[in-house]
Amino acid sequence: MQFKSTQSSFRDRTHEFHTVAERLKKSLSSSSSSSGPNGPSSSNSPYPSSSSPSSSSRSEDPRSAVAIQSEFNRRASKIGFGIHQTSQKLSKLAKLAKRTSVFDDPTMEIQELTSVIKQDITALNSAVVDLQLISNSRNESGNVSTDTTSHSTTVVDDLKTRLMSTTKEFKDVLTMRTENLKVHENRRQLFSANASKDSANPFIRQRPLATKSAASASNAPAPPWASGKQVDGESQPLLQQQQQQQQMVPLQDSYMQSRAEALQNVESTIHELSNIFNQLATLVSQQGEVAIRIDENMDDTLANVEGAQGALLKYLNSISSN
Amino acid sequence: MTLNLRQKQTECIARMLNLNQPLNASGTTNEEAYKILIYDKFCQNILSPLIHVKDLRKHGVTLYFLIDKDRKPVHDVPAVYFVQPIQSNVQRIIADASRSLYQTFHLNFSTSIPRPLLEDLASGTLGSDSIQRISKVHDQYLEFVTLEDNLFSLAQKSCFLQLNDPSAGDREIEDIIEKIVSGLFCVLATLGVVPVIRCPRGGPAEMVATALDQRIRDHLLSKNNLFTEGGNFVSSFQRPVLCIFDRNFELPVAIQHDFRYRPLVHDVLGLKLNRLSVQGEKGGMRSYELDSADTFWVTNGGLEFPEVAGEIETQLNKYKSDVDEVNKRTGGNHGAEFDGTDLIGNTKYLMNAVNSLPELTERKQVIDKHTNIATVLLGEIKERSLDSYAKKENDMMVRGGIERSELLGVLRGKGTKMDKLRFAIMYLISSETINPTEVEAVETALRESEVDTAAFQYVKKIKSLNVSLASANSASRSNIVDWAEKLYGQSISAVTAGVKNLLSSDRQLALARTVEALIEGRPNPETDVYLAFDPRAPKSGSGASSSLLKGPFKEAIVFMIGGGNYVEYCSLQELAQNQQPPKHIIYGTTELLTGVDFVEQLTLLGKKMGLGNVGSTSAQ
Repeated sequence: MQFKSTQSSFRDRTHEFHTVAERLKKSLSSSSSSSGPNGPSSSNSPYPSSSSPSSSSRSEDPRSAVAIQSEFNRRASKIGFGIHQTSQKLSKLAKLAKRTSVFDDPTMEIQELTSVIKQDITALNSAVVDLQLISNSRNESGNVSTDTTSHSTTVVDDLKTRLMSTTKEFKDVLTMRTENLKVHENRRQLFSANASKDSANPFIRQRPLATKSAASASNAPAPPWASGKQVDGESQPLLQQQQQQQQMVPLQDSYMQSRAEALQNVESTIHELSNIFNQLATLVSQQGEVAIRIDENMDDTLANVEGAQGALLKYLNSISSN
Repeated sequence: MTLNLRQKQTECIARMLNLNQPLNASGTTNEEAYKILIYDKFCQNILSPLIHVKDLRKHGVTLYFLIDKDRKPVHDVPAVYFVQPIQSNVQRIIADASRSLYQTFHLNFSTSIPRPLLEDLASGTLGSDSIQRISKVHDQYLEFVTLEDNLFSLAQKSCFLQLNDPSAGDREIEDIIEKIVSGLFCVLATLGVVPVIRCPRGGPAEMVATALDQRIRDHLLSKNNLFTEGGNFVSSFQRPVLCIFDRNFELPVAIQHDFRYRPLVHDVLGLKLNRLSVQGEKGGMRSYELDSADTFWVTNGGLEFPEVAGEIETQLNKYKSDVDEVNKRTGGNHGAEFDGTDLIGNTKYLMNAVNSLPELTERKQVIDKHTNIATVLLGEIKERSLDSYAKKENDMMVRGGIERSELLGVLRGKGTKMDKLRFAIMYLISSETINPTEVEAVETALRESEVDTAAFQYVKKIKSLNVSLASANSASRSNIVDWAEKLYGQSISAVTAGVKNLLSSDRQLALARTVEALIEGRPNPETDVYLAFDPRAPKSGSGASSSLLKGPFKEAIVFMIGGGNYVEYCSLQELAQNQQPPKHIIYGTTELLTGVDFVEQLTLLGKKMGLGNVGSTSAQ
């Protein structure tokens, strides 16, 4: 007997099973071959009618149905794998977005990753739609059993739910990113309030605005201002002028800043509002996934089946009594 | 490390659904495979309290069927079978395999499949030439139903009846003991512990303990056993103690009316596998689930019913105030100007409100559920005056007797026939001596109410033969009296008369007392005579009672043969909490019985003994 050596609470009897089977096979083959066909009939199956038609239906079952089934399976597993990979990328993105510090902003990486994920999700979306079309066409062709139909429907539903949850996660990560940016900006404003600190500050401050399309407009005029002012220089009056300019530059910058900030606020508000509406929508749609137990529907179906059986019996009686 | 049985069993099932490959960290399937789950009726009872359909989907199970249902082929998909190793299931599997319903078959049996059945399976599938479809055969050792973190049941029906049946032969008793041992073995294998076994002498408890000890020993001798965790010489501190008792050890608990929430719901409304069906407030049956996810149920299950009603009230008010707060923050701001900051603050509140909506809805659902249950309970209590039954039975146990007039008054008053029968049996058990005239009067009263007195007769007979009922009872009484005397130093009668108000829910069961003594390991005249088994110790050393076996334990598994109920479970949990430091007790039984179920078994026993309605027209 073979035992699993790991710390597990179950035992694998497969090897034992196979040895038994080998032994029996040998004994069967050594005895007369006529014992073979007797096998199925003597196995006492309470469903004798199932064995004969199934063998004939098996042969006439067109290969295409099986082929379509495996095609479906292949695609479903590919989509599933794609979703898994996308969620991994998403977790990487989340980590990046979380750890951004005030001065070291991996904007390019985040941008890239975001666009890649967006592409992935759109691709997966269309793949899932295709999958559903395949399964629908196959179900309508009528060659498959009801169980297969429900199986494929469930698979498609499951993939859709997983894709939706991934998309939601994506939106959450984006929201977190915007919030982080806002926090960084506020902190930078604190820094930029003492203008003597870092003359390079204005340039660095401009960087996070680069990621926002709304703020990119304000980016262009700012550096020419700043660079233009700082080109000319004499010593003392220049210093004063520089200080003035530096105060002016922050003033100009702050004006740009406030405008950019206002735009950002509006954008994030709209973003959050869309979030809210999405959540409401998912709340509504998820009502279907109420926590049902395995044995719940059984009682209903049992009652229904019994009722149906009774009705059929009555009908039979009424017919046979004629 | 505390043993959480429910968690362990859920992990095992999750692993089984993952085709017995180790799960990755997120607990979802490694491979992107969709499978079909097939189970039989017994395994359905195991699965339903633990997993919902949501979790099945998470593990990649798309469809789930009963094995007896007529199923259609789903090619190209693996099927996971989780069934009991019995002949009909094996035949069905062979039939399925020969019809090629599924691509591959992963067979998991709830306990070890015996060799002959394995051979049947092999020959059947060989014959139909479908053996290549059977890819795996596993023994899962999961043949028990876990209802809560610390509560399990073996779902073996009518154990008490079969064990105490006067006509039962040795062979049948052995079979039952074997089944119980197998179930207990599954529990221990899932927990992964080898406990120290203690049990009282004589009776089914001793038989089960010896057989279990032998079974574990044999198993440990094999090279790679299921208990590889923990070395051979781990001290007894780490190992739990398994205390096995028989129902006859303390009979009244199974019969009496209790007034705490959990026992009430179980007894009166029929809680089965954590599911409950009650009449909804707007008519129509509502079905509820009461398990560890329901925080109200978990925290307030042990309270007396009036307190529970108060708790529901409190929760409802808290919920209402929370909802009002949310409304205040978000509503009524429609006329706000489009000032940037204001809008931001508004949306932030709105978002928080939307985020808290699901939680609020869930809280409301839980409150509604318990309000509904409490209302239905209240109706039943009023109709059957269950509160007076509970109080009077408690008084009887504490005082050891009851006024005759009061007794007869109750028997003629409100309550179902079963209630009266249970009350009469409680009277019989609690009274020190049997007063024949009183018993006569009781029997007449019962017969007047058309109650079948077979159970009553049975208990009367047992009581006359057996002293253990009385000893357990008097011990509990004396314990209370000692305690009361220590604290108040007053005369005994005055104390016992007035003590019922203080002890209405604290009367310690004999079971709890014994378990406490066994856990603490202090010398105690009662428990010192208990047998002790240590499957890990070498055979020669097991005769001497080593100190390891009696030392204090941190964890205990208490098993009751013949049927248990929520009263014992609640008492044991209270005991565990009250210990310094808090210990951990798992309670298990062969089946969870309501008072009615148990009395029905007593009735059948009485009838088997030929103690039917004496003097009734139907001749035996």
